[in-house]
Order: sequence, then C-alpha cells, then structure tokens
Amino acid sequence: MKADGTIVARQLHKSFGSHEVLRGIDLSVAAGEISCIIGPSGSGKSTLLRCVNGLETVDRGVLRVNGEDFGYVETDNAYHAVRPQRLAEQRSHIGMVFQQFNLFPNMTAEDNVISGPVLVKKVNRKVAREQAQKLLAQVGLAGCGHKYPAQLSGGQQQRVAIARALAMEPSIMLFDEPTSALDPELVGEVLAVMRDLAHHGMTMLVVTHEMGFARDVADEILFMDGGVAIERGDAREVLANPREKRTQEFLERVL
Amino acid sequence: MSTKTIGSPTSRPVPELLPEQKKRITPKRPRDYVSWAVAVAIVGGLVTTTVTNENYQWPVVFSYFTAQSILDGLVLTLVLTVASMVLGTLLGLVLAVMRMSHQAPISGLARLYITFFRGTPVLVQLIFWFNIAALYPNVSLGIPFTDISTPVDVNALMTPLTAAIVGLTLNQAAYMAEIIRGGFASVNRGQYEAADSLGMSGFTRLRHVIIPQTMPAIIPATGNQVIGMLKETSLVSVLGVAELLNSAQSIYARTYQTIPLLIVASLWYLIMTMALSVPQSMIERRFSRSTRRPAPVAVATKESLL
Repeated sequence: MKADGTIVARQLHKSFGSHEVLRGIDLSVAAGEISCIIGPSGSGKSTLLRCVNGLETVDRGVLRVNGEDFGYVETDNAYHAVRPQRLAEQRSHIGMVFQQFNLFPNMTAEDNVISGPVLVKKVNRKVAREQAQKLLAQVGLAGCGHKYPAQLSGGQQQRVAIARALAMEPSIMLFDEPTSALDPELVGEVLAVMRDLAHHGMTMLVVTHEMGFARDVADEILFMDGGVAIERGDAREVLANPREKRTQEFLERVL
Repeated sequence: MSTKTIGSPTSRPVPELLPEQKKRITPKRPRDYVSWAVAVAIVGGLVTTTVTNENYQWPVVFSYFTAQSILDGLVLTLVLTVASMVLGTLLGLVLAVMRMSHQAPISGLARLYITFFRGTPVLVQLIFWFNIAALYPNVSLGIPFTDISTPVDVNALMTPLTAAIVGLTLNQAAYMAEIIRGGFASVNRGQYEAADSLGMSGFTRLRHVIIPQTMPAIIPATGNQVIGMLKETSLVSVLGVAELLNSAQSIYARTYQTIPLLIVASLWYLIMTMALSVPQSMIERRFSRSTRRPAPVAVATKESLL
C-alpha cells in the first residue's frame, strides 16, 4: 500500500483565524494521473496543495496520501498528529515545486539536487551526484551543476527545483504555480519539463494559470472559488464546456 | 613665423570626426582642486605639528612601545576580548533562541534581558558587577532540596578580572542575541518550507539550510562587535585590571608622561583593529559568496558546501 501515488481528500476544512479558506473540498487523484487546480487568487487552491504535503495542517476532513492518512493517525474518535519524524518520512515521498523556486542559495545546483538524497535518505554522496547529473540532464541543465542559483535564470532555477524534488524519487509531485514568477519567455522551458514528467507516469497535482498546459496534459481539472470546489471533471471537457456559471465566467476572463 | 600662421590652418589635416564618434568631456571644476588642497593642507598641518611639537615626546613613545608591562597589558586586552566575545556569543545564541521562542514567557525573559543590558552603559555595568558583593555578600551554591551546598564569598570571587569578564560578557550577549536573531530573520520562510518538503529533520534543516544562510548577516556584524569589544576592554581599566590602557596609566602615574603613553596605547589599539579588519573582510567575502555572483571558475574549484 505504501507510496502508491494516490491522493484522496474528503470534506477538507481549513481556516486561518476566522477566515475559512477550504470549505469542504473533495479531491481524488489516481496513480499516474495529472490533476490541475484552477481558480481565481484567494480561492484556496494553493492552501489545498500545501495541505497535501503538510505545509498547512488540515482542520477537519479526510486526507489520504499514498494510501495512508497523512500527518495523522486515525483512532476511534479522532485524528492524532504523528511525530515529526513520521511526518518527514511521509513528506519524503511527495515532491514539491514552489512558485518562488526556493532553491537553497548557499548550495550549487548539484548540491541542491543531492541535498534530499544525501541529507535525508543518507544515500552515498558519489551515487547521489551521478543521479543528480542525470536529473539535471533530464531537465535540460547538463553542465550547470556547479552554478549557484543566483547565476541561473528563473526558468533554470525552477528546473533545478524540479530536479531537486525528483531526486527524492517521489511518487507524487505537487506544483504550486510553478511558472507564475517567471518571465513569459521562460515559461515554456519549465512547462516542457513538466510535460515530459507527465508522460513518464508521475502523479501530478498542479496549481496553475496555464490553461494551455491544463488542456494538453491534465486528466482532470478542479475549479475552485471561495474555498469550494465549484466544478470537477475531465480537463478538456471542463475547459471546452464548463457546466457551472462561475467556471464559465472565470475561463472567459483568463482565456 | 609668417609661413606658420598662414600655412598651419590649411596644411594640417583637420580630423573629420562624425558627431557620434566624438568624445564627451566633462571639464574639471574648481571644487575638484579645492577639495584636494583642503585635504593636503589638513594632513600636512597635522604631520608638521606632530613632528615639530616637542611635547609629543616621540623618543618616550618609542622607548615604552615594547615595554614589558605594555606588552603584558596588550596580552590581557586580547584575552579579555576573546573571552568576552566567545562567552558573549554563546550566551547571545541562547538568548536569540529564547527570543525567537513561540512561548511568550521565554521570549519575554530574553527581551527583558536585552532591554536591560542594552539600555544601561557598559561602564556602569562593569562597576556594578565589581561591587555586586554589596548587594549579595554571600551566595550559597548547592543542589536544591539537598544538604549539599557550598557558601561562596562573593567579595573574594568578584576580583577585578572576573567583574571585567562578567560585565563585558553579559553586555555583549545582549548585542549578539539581536545580531543572531537578525540573521535568522533574514532567511526567507520558503527556505524552511523547501527543506520540510524534502523531508529534512529540524536539525538537518537548521544545520545545512538555515544556519549557512544566516552567516552573511551575522559574520560582518560580529566582526564589528569584535573590533568594538577590543576597544571596549579599555573601560575595565577603571576596575584596576592591568590591560593595555591601565598599564599605560600605571606608567604615566609615575613618570607624568601622559601624552606619550596614551599614544603608545592608541597605536597598539590601532594596530590590533587594523589587523582584525583583514580577516574580517576575508570572512565576509567567503560568506557573501552565494548572494554575489561569483566568478564561475572560482566556484568550480571550491569544495562542496554540503
């Protein structure tokens, strides 16, 4: 059952103070499926994504990642938070790519990529370096391993960040608006890497404003507004023939 | 003569520069020369007076420059600096961690400490610690709820040297706490999240991701503190600790050669602070590597930071 690459959420609730950000969200991503979350800013889509790897805690609801309850253990009448070590272990099977890349600026690109394997999984450094070079080549950055993040363009940094997440050999990849901080001409190179990843059968949950990417790559789309899942369904179907009025209005504005 | 005046304008080829090829020249202004003249006058005047004024007694300066008691004082100044910096930084680290605590009583305690020790003059603090026995003449060191305890005579314990180290350390800790806290505050929240998302433990995250990034903010500030501390140690001369200034004072108390001996002390302070600024700028360069854009060659040969 372990690390099977599935995400299941039922009736997720999350509040920041008195503001309810998630109001009963359902989500289901099968292994190898690509799911895109779209919606206006402030709709709770990033919060939902961050709940899936525990950067935010869930107030109420069921959240099962990789076939097991995430961050909590279910007992007869409550969910109990797991110990930090267990949470870290669960997280290590989930890769995360951030809007602001969040590369470690004190490490070279290659050191960034091997940081997970070496520091968390205690992989032999030499083995990790070989793997890192393969991953950097895979994202089109062969030979850039010695560079520091400050020496790389935004698109290159984001591709290193993807390689860093992949180095942990995750069963699920989460993308939080991975191209929103990029100059328009650099968006394509990151999306190309993500497309490639999708074709290799990675389970992906992507918060994005790139409707073209969603249409071409996603299996399913979840449209969120005001902390609620307004519409959920086959990606091309939702984009071409949205059933809900709010989805129609949103798509008219962004397309 | 006549051929020259007639011939030259026509015979010399006039360079035909296109407007876009012409150099742009900014003329030097009078103030550029005036500033130089003023600076030269001031420095020249100072040099002349120091050389010609007999009262400087340069021979006396040179004869005491390497006197044994001066050198002993020099060593004690360095010992005081190192001891209070090391102890102050360690205590400052503890205070910084307390200050960043989410538990209000813990951070409140640290805040109280920092406010008090930064809000009162070091000189007053030093004299206070020297006279602490007036407040607590006898302190009993022991394990609570047992009979094991040793009475301590505070008056005997608080020698001038102990008072100096305690006073300088406690004061320094307050400043170091704020510097260290500032270093941590300079690290972006996303760095914690990125480390968490890779499944790093709290310690690994701190050791390999966060602390290295706090260094560019902490190291230069700490370097300034070291240089400041070196000079601050001269304050403990009022307690009678025979550091550099006090050693100079002891000599001129006997010989009345006040100025030359103050020059001796000042020259040594100057030499030491200048010597300290060299490693400081080196360390600064080393730690600011990630924020600047280093030359690719230099980076390629550097060992891995991990």
